[in-house]
Order: sequence, then C-alpha cells, then structure tokens
Amino acid sequence: MPQRSLPRIDEKKRFMLALIAPAVTVLIAFQILPILIGANASFRDWHLHDPKRTWIGFTNYAYVLRDNEFLTIVLPNTFGFMLASVGTSLILGLAIALLLNRKFAGRWLVQTIILLPLMVAPVIAAIMIRWMFNDQFGIVNVVLGVFGVPQIAWLTQKWTAFLAMLLTDVWLWTPWFALLLLAGLQSLPSEPFEAAQIDAASAWRTFRYITLPMLRPVIVVCVVIRAIDAFRTFDIVWTISGGGPARATEVFSIYAYVEAFQFLNFGRGSAAAVIGALIIVVFAMALYRLLNRWVEVSR
Amino acid sequence: MSAVDALPAIASRNRFFDALAPGGRRALFVLGIIGVCLLFAFPVFWLVLTSLRPGYAVYYVHRGTDFTLDNFHEVLSQEIVLRALWNSLAISTLATVLSLGVTVTSGYMLSRFRGPIPNLWFSAIYVFRCVPYVSWVLPLYFVTRALGIFDTYWGLLLPHVAVHICFFSWIMKGFFDGIDPSMEYAAMIDGCSRWGAFLRVALPAAIPGLTALAILCWLYTWNEFLFALILTAQKTPILTVVMAQFVHELGMEWHLMSATAVLSLGPALIVTIFGQKYVIRGLKI
Repeated sequence: MPQRSLPRIDEKKRFMLALIAPAVTVLIAFQILPILIGANASFRDWHLHDPKRTWIGFTNYAYVLRDNEFLTIVLPNTFGFMLASVGTSLILGLAIALLLNRKFAGRWLVQTIILLPLMVAPVIAAIMIRWMFNDQFGIVNVVLGVFGVPQIAWLTQKWTAFLAMLLTDVWLWTPWFALLLLAGLQSLPSEPFEAAQIDAASAWRTFRYITLPMLRPVIVVCVVIRAIDAFRTFDIVWTISGGGPARATEVFSIYAYVEAFQFLNFGRGSAAAVIGALIIVVFAMALYRLLNRWVEVSR
Repeated sequence: MSAVDALPAIASRNRFFDALAPGGRRALFVLGIIGVCLLFAFPVFWLVLTSLRPGYAVYYVHRGTDFTLDNFHEVLSQEIVLRALWNSLAISTLATVLSLGVTVTSGYMLSRFRGPIPNLWFSAIYVFRCVPYVSWVLPLYFVTRALGIFDTYWGLLLPHVAVHICFFSWIMKGFFDGIDPSMEYAAMIDGCSRWGAFLRVALPAAIPGLTALAILCWLYTWNEFLFALILTAQKTPILTVVMAQFVHELGMEWHLMSATAVLSLGPALIVTIFGQKYVIRGLKI
C-alpha cells in the first residue's frame, strides 16, 4: 500500500475546498464579518453619536423582548405580511403559470406583459403605488370618485396602508412565482398527462392528482425562498408607509432600522435584527422540514 | 371520497357554461387573460403616462391632455443621471459575471460530494440566507470603509456577490443534481483531471441553467436599492438611488422620477424580452 503522510489533505478534499474557496472568502468578508460586528454591537450601549460603546450584556435583548410595540404590533405584522403575500402570490403565480403553459395566439406578448413587474425596481414600484394611492391626486381615488365613493386616505390608516403594501408585494413577486412554476411545468414529463387524457380525467382532477403532486418540489423551494424574503421586506414598507401611521404597520426590518437610525441606538437595532434573524432561521428550518415531509408523503 | 363527489359538480359546471354560450369557456379564457394583463401592466402604464406629462399637469390626472417629451430631455441633460445609468449597467453586468463565477463551483461541490464539508457549507448557506439585510448593511458600511473601497465599484460589487452566494449556490446545486455525473466519471477514467471533468463536461451541460440565473441576477442587481443607498455616495451614483431622490430630497418631482424610471426600464425590458425563453427553459429547480 502506498504510504500517505497524515497531515496532508488528500486530493479530493483539496479539490472540494478549492471549489468553494472564492465563495467562502467573499461570504466571510462581506456577510459573516459584518454580521459579527452587528452581533457584537447588540451587546453594547452603542449609540451612533457616542464613542464609548460600553458592554451591557443582554440589556438590549431584554428591552426588545419586553417592548410591547415589538411583541404586539411588529411580530404579528411581519408574519401576517409574510403569510398573506406568499399565499396570494403563490396562488396567482400558479394560475398564471397554468395559463401560460397552454398554447394560444399572442402568448409571447402576454408573457412579456406579465413579466413586467420583474423589470421594475421594487422601490420604484413602491413609489408608484404611493402615488396611485395618494388621497388627493392618486388615480385610485379619482376612479373611485367617479362612482361616488368619497376620498379615502389610504396610507394614513393602518389596514388600508397594509393592503397597499401587500398589493405591491404581490404585484412584484407573482411574476417571479409564475416564471419558476412555468419552468417547472414545462420540465414535467408528458406521459402522465397523456394517460390522464386517455382515461378522460377532468381538467381539475388532472391538476389535483397529477400536476400539483409533480410540481410540489418546485413549490416548496419557491415558498421557502419567498417566505424568507418576505420576512425581511424593507424597501416596500419603508417607501409606502414608513411603518406609519404611528408605527402601526411596522414590520421587523423597519423596527430594527428605526431603532438604529432614527433613535440612533445601534446596539438596540442590532439586538432586534439578531432576534429577527434567529426567529426566521428557526422558522425557515421548520418550514423546509415540514414542506419536505409533505412532499415525501405525497409521493 | 371527495374526489368522487367532485365529479358530478364539474360535469354540471361544464354544462352550465355550454348552455350560457357555445364559446363561453373560450370567452372566459380570453377575458381572464386580458384582466390579468391589465392588472400587471397598469402601474407600468401609469408610470409611462406620468413620465410624458409636463410637471404642472401631473396632479390633474383626469383632465390633462398635455403630453411632452421634455422630461426625458431634462433628465438626460443631468450629468448625474447619465453617470448613474452607466454605473448601474457596469455594476449589474460585473456582479452577474462575478456571482456566477463564484457560485458555479460552489454549487458543483455541493451537488457532487457528500460528507462533513459539504454539509457544513450547505448549512452555512441556509442559515446566512435567512439573515435580514438590515442586520448587516450598516456593519458592511464599516467594513467597506475600513477596506478603503467605500463608494467604488468593488465596494458595491463584492457585497452584491455575497448576497447572491447563498441563493445561487443552492440553485446551482439543483442544476448539477439534474446532470448525470457518469459522464464526468467517464472523462476522469479517460485521463481528465477533476478540474478538467468539471470544466469540460459538467459546466457545458449546465449552460442553460447558468443563462437563466444570469438573467435573473442581472435584473435583480439592476433594481437593487438598499445596498446602493448605503454603500455608495457622490462618486458612484446608482440609478435606483438617483430615481428615488427625485421624490425624496428635491421635492415631489413625479414627472422626472417617472422619466428616469422609464429610462431604466429600457435595458431591463431588452434583457427580459430576449431572455425569458432561456429563463423558462433553464430554470428547473
């Protein structure tokens, strides 16, 4: 047997490490390091204008976890926003993907129009929605005015502002769902569908018992990715309502941002961010496990 | 069973539509498509319309019939907009190339190897994907400052690559999972090195997926706002930030903001029109 010196990393391991080396380097320098700096700040009395940065242990965490604002408004808002946005855009995206999976005249044009939101920067979409829902000059109130509805101050009431935010998010992300699901649909084998056709299965039953189960892995990945992103939504909420009126539509990213940049308490903002990160990590793991099990069972 | 119960209901529904009109289902289908298109196109249509209005007519949505191209002229004569346009183009393209280059190897590794190292790397990716941007964008500012790359191309490019690493590695793993590794083994038996097998056999097979991801990556970077806002200043203006500033700092110049937004829509539209075919073909997770 050839002799191998023990401390040497074997050729396969070296290949593996070389493959991930660039990604690991960039990840450490530009994500892990900043996160550690933030985590360090969360244990300190770190005000942006105060250079002392005294170590105060878990005081910031205790503050955030006892903050009524965080527990009764921010968390329900964040989860509500996530569930409503992901649920609605999944259903709409699936419907559109099924629509686009058929052949009809002008499909290419329809597809391009539906993909329009992917080309618009979220911040511009949010500004546009704010403009359209403007209480005096916005097109929504003008159109409603034609039907005799009095002017509604959309963005200064909690639920209507929340609705405008949701609408923007759904508008922005439905095409993304539709695109991924359409790619999934087109990669499905055609035999089961032909068999279903021979058996004269109805469209609904074909969808329910063939399309949906075969599409489940794609749906799981889409839902997990989008759920994580919806949890940390920032720019849409910031542009449309800024968390207002009176912090009523604040989601978790806004809470951390406001603590850090408006109350200039970087330590407390970081603590809120760490708490949010822990919540979403645990939630995403659980969701991934749950959805995966659901896929396994359905097979 | 519920499925059996559902059957007569569907049959009667079909009869209902057929009784209503012979082409009822077809008409409903067309109406549905038109409705969906209107819903998705309207905000963009409104953006284009606002960009064609003179500044004083923006507020009188329902009566103004004044249209003008002056907004585009005014926007394009501002030097900062032109620079931002160029910077955004450069950053999006470079970030796409770099992100794909870095993640393709990482995804290949995740797909082809088992053991503690891939497991650790996969968990790291999954966990760091979940960390919200707000918790690292400000420390990121400190980091780029310390490295002396704040407000330069690198200072925005590398954080963008870092954002993409987690998601793209995950998706790339899926691409390589769908490619049969036996061809690579065959190449290695014939004398190819591991790198040779990766570069000459696996990589060409993954091209459709890479194309799809490249298009999505380009669009994402082109439209990104938060990083551009915090990690750039006067030297490297970015288009999304410049657009948003028309509405924030200089008062409410909706018409100029819209004109810039329409300009920024141009390249994205070109990319989407030519790219959608490849995205749908290549994106199999």
